[in-house]
Amino acid sequence: MTSVVPPSVLTDAAVSGPVTSGPRRRAKGGIASTVLTSVAALVWISPLVLLVVTALRPLADFVAQGPLSWPGTFTFQNFADAWDIGNFATTYRNSTVLLILKVPVGVFLSAMLAYALAKLRIRFGAAIMYTVFLGLTIPIYITIVPVFVMARSAGLTDNLIGLIGPYLAFGIPFEVLVLQAFIRQIPDEIIEAAKIDGAGAWRIFLTVVLPLSAPALVTVFILDAVATWNEFLFALILLNSDASKTIPVGLLNFQGQFSNNSTGLAAGILIAVVPILIAYTFLQRWIVGGLTAGASKG
Amino acid sequence: MSRAKTRHGGLVAWGFAAPALLVYLGFLVYPALNSLWFSFTDWDGLSAGYNVVGLDNYTTMVDDPVVAQAAVNNLIWAVVTVVAPVLLGLALAVVLNGKVRGKPVLRLIFYTPAVLPLVSVASIWGWLYNPQYGAINAFLRAIGLDGLAQPWLGQDSTALGATMVAAIWLRVGFPMLLYLAALQSISADLYEAATVDGASRWQQFWHITMPGLRPAHYVVIALSVIESFKVFDLIYAMTYGGPGTATQVMGTWMYFNVFQYNQAGYGTAIAVVITVVAIAVSIPYVRSQTKEHAV
Amino acid sequence: MNDSALSRRRFLTLTGGATLAAGLAACTGTGGDSAGAPAGGSGNGSKDLRLFTYEDNTTIGLLKEQVKQFDAQNGANTTVDSLPGSGAAVYPDKLRTELLGGKGPDVWRIWGGQIGAPFVKAKQAMDLSPYYQKYGWDSKINQAAVAGMTFDGVKGGMPFVALGIGAWYNKATWSKAGVTTPPKSYAELEEVNAKLVAAGITPLGTGGKYGWHVMRLFEYLLEVSAGPELHDKLLAGAESWDRPEVVTAFTNFKKWQDQKWMPEGAIGLDPADVELWYVQGKSAYTITGPWTEAAAIQSAEKKSADYGVFQLPTGHEPARHSGFVEGYMINARAGNPDLAAALLDFLNQPATVKALKVTASVVTGAEPDQATLPLSYEWSQGPGKQPFYTIQDQAFPKKEADQYFAIQSDVLQGKAGPADAARKMQDVVKAWKR
Repeated sequence: MTSVVPPSVLTDAAVSGPVTSGPRRRAKGGIASTVLTSVAALVWISPLVLLVVTALRPLADFVAQGPLSWPGTFTFQNFADAWDIGNFATTYRNSTVLLILKVPVGVFLSAMLAYALAKLRIRFGAAIMYTVFLGLTIPIYITIVPVFVMARSAGLTDNLIGLIGPYLAFGIPFEVLVLQAFIRQIPDEIIEAAKIDGAGAWRIFLTVVLPLSAPALVTVFILDAVATWNEFLFALILLNSDASKTIPVGLLNFQGQFSNNSTGLAAGILIAVVPILIAYTFLQRWIVGGLTAGASKG
Repeated sequence: MSRAKTRHGGLVAWGFAAPALLVYLGFLVYPALNSLWFSFTDWDGLSAGYNVVGLDNYTTMVDDPVVAQAAVNNLIWAVVTVVAPVLLGLALAVVLNGKVRGKPVLRLIFYTPAVLPLVSVASIWGWLYNPQYGAINAFLRAIGLDGLAQPWLGQDSTALGATMVAAIWLRVGFPMLLYLAALQSISADLYEAATVDGASRWQQFWHITMPGLRPAHYVVIALSVIESFKVFDLIYAMTYGGPGTATQVMGTWMYFNVFQYNQAGYGTAIAVVITVVAIAVSIPYVRSQTKEHAV
Repeated sequence: MNDSALSRRRFLTLTGGATLAAGLAACTGTGGDSAGAPAGGSGNGSKDLRLFTYEDNTTIGLLKEQVKQFDAQNGANTTVDSLPGSGAAVYPDKLRTELLGGKGPDVWRIWGGQIGAPFVKAKQAMDLSPYYQKYGWDSKINQAAVAGMTFDGVKGGMPFVALGIGAWYNKATWSKAGVTTPPKSYAELEEVNAKLVAAGITPLGTGGKYGWHVMRLFEYLLEVSAGPELHDKLLAGAESWDRPEVVTAFTNFKKWQDQKWMPEGAIGLDPADVELWYVQGKSAYTITGPWTEAAAIQSAEKKSADYGVFQLPTGHEPARHSGFVEGYMINARAGNPDLAAALLDFLNQPATVKALKVTASVVTGAEPDQATLPLSYEWSQGPGKQPFYTIQDQAFPKKEADQYFAIQSDVLQGKAGPADAARKMQDVVKAWKR
């Protein structure tokens, strides 16, 4: 256990590093692809205009004219109202707590299992892979009654903690599959070099494998965070009181039996998704700007 | 295939694998196995009692016309909503990894639909598809293609296609993200060298990018295929399986049976079939991964 | 049944399902350890109650206030949990899971007919006959509403509201088409439709995305062609559907689409959108209940005076309309059912009903406020007093109702002829009643 990090690894990565720009000699195609992609982006974003416009018009205007009309007046009042109706002061806190407790743990545990599958030559690797696939393929709906019973016998219904177990379990298969595919791409030589330097499995995992998998880790983190933020079914089934509800369950408050507060719902949805979009914008820089696995096979 | 080497990692490997596996087995596999039993019963999903009916639920499926329709829909769905988003996502990832202005904004835009709650996706597309007032027919009429204006969600012939368009819109961000991550592991040196050798951009794409993305292709396609077999909530929100049963897929049909028709036994049997089919589809992938592993 | 309970226990033991077995035993009562089993909600004689409902933020505050009064009068401690949302979809799922998980609320609100029926059939809900006697509900509550909460002869719930369906129209569109008075017969209604189409207005705003909205037209057409007696027998499966009256109803149904009396592609439209069209002037009328006055007309800041309501003319005696019931059920394993029943009775007191601003009460003395809801009041004093037939998505179990909707969808799309549809419908009903 002499050197902390095998120096060769870091330099290797650094040398092949400036990948942000990808293939560099593409300046010529730049304008054409910018225009083309921008047009595509406009098409892509256009349905969302409906959502934003709906959020910005009074409910009376929406009910009186229908969704596909230009509003008579614009207002920000919906956002203030939606904040109260959707009980966002509480649901925001609950969803954030869940996300912070769950997502890092889930990604870390999954990375450990992925490392074992990809690099540690674990016995029954194929069997584990099939088991993990099983988790991806099981429709979540058939597990809710048993999960509810488990949570109840542990006294964890109507409690955010009760959601963590099921959330972790349903995130793990996906995360493991993605991460193992990426970790597999790390050249064995780098790991061997670290081993020769006396690093144990843990040290290799923490100082070599995780940093070199940064783009994949961030990707998985984003996808898992979005899934956790939006998860509806388990939250619906396990939580009862207003004090413990999460954002997706709170959004139900905008739908009545006989009428929908459509403008309030649109505002509520924007309130719900904007933070996650901001987080995504920051995190995605890490996918393409972070450390890199360095030269691998061509 | 060196057995000795395989065993070498033994305990340490299991130490790494155990935490995730335990959580996963405890909170997912175990509850699922508990439910499996009900597929051999006529349980209504609510009563205390039920009868064991053996394989009846599975044989009933063979004669259920909705299951046949759902299976066909699932196949169409799988092909379209795997191929289109994967190709689009790949193209976007390559372009947005290169020299394009406003990359962060563009990456945001193409990913945004995936973040929206499905209730809003269903409303938005419902409005767009409205035959009389919807934006899509309005656009078609404006460019003189009146004949193409349809009641998109209101007839059996177009409802599934219309739903798939929304699915593509929704799902393109997922492959894009994974491909973006995968592109980071292709060394820029390779492109440099190829450019020096006078390779065109197409040649670079085919000979450097595509091979470099091979592992990502496997993962993206495997995950997309499984997702497509399990599809439930988008269809449920957009068409409710209709008109009639025109857009039922196995996932929605399972849900209707378990939760709405008080046929939990039958619905669970459908869930088992979905799982078995999806697992079967994943066999080639696991093989490809573990073969590499053993070398 | 014993047999199967045994095999489940054996299976659970095999899979090491100790926790699950314990939970299910507690919930199903198959455990035999009645002493230690935590019964639903609260312990015996406890003053704690849990009420589960689906009211949204416009009414839940009122309910909580009233329940607080009940608690004060009875020394009770009642928790109110609500799961708003387009109810019929997620609410029963949640309720079912809670009941299966062994706890479950002491009292829950639910729709009548076939949505509430499974809870009574599975014996999760208590037979309330003793409390009907104790509180005299039979004499206080509208009999048609009681029927909607009676399942195979078991009084499984106490009705709370009974909502009737009528035609709500936009007066401006009518005068534009030169129509002055509501139609008195089905033939007159067809004439009104023709005039509206001639004036460029879609007559009926209806959307079939979930089936039940377009169904409101069909059930009316069936009432017209079959008459009250036969209609009821058809719904009960006592007469064959493969008959001329049903074929006539399907023929008329198709005519409404062909003549553009309903929107193009109606079968795929979301009722939440289309039901508002009459307020917007995009259609002339819709078929719906009195809630539309507050939820649509007044929500759009329009005046009730510019709109009207009439009972769809059937040409039969009695002149009926479609209707449905909502009510409360008591958990069969409630710790203190007497207290729960007292809460139910309290909720149906005219004073409580008024305080809850319920517009379609099942007890007398709680009519809607004439000043604020003139049209709802008008309905309650006229058609509201007429008998109603069970709205068809509550007359059939969900599975059969969906098959019924699929047949209606085929007819509207021209994929099945009227005679064909009648025959298929008979198959559906026959399979259900077998």
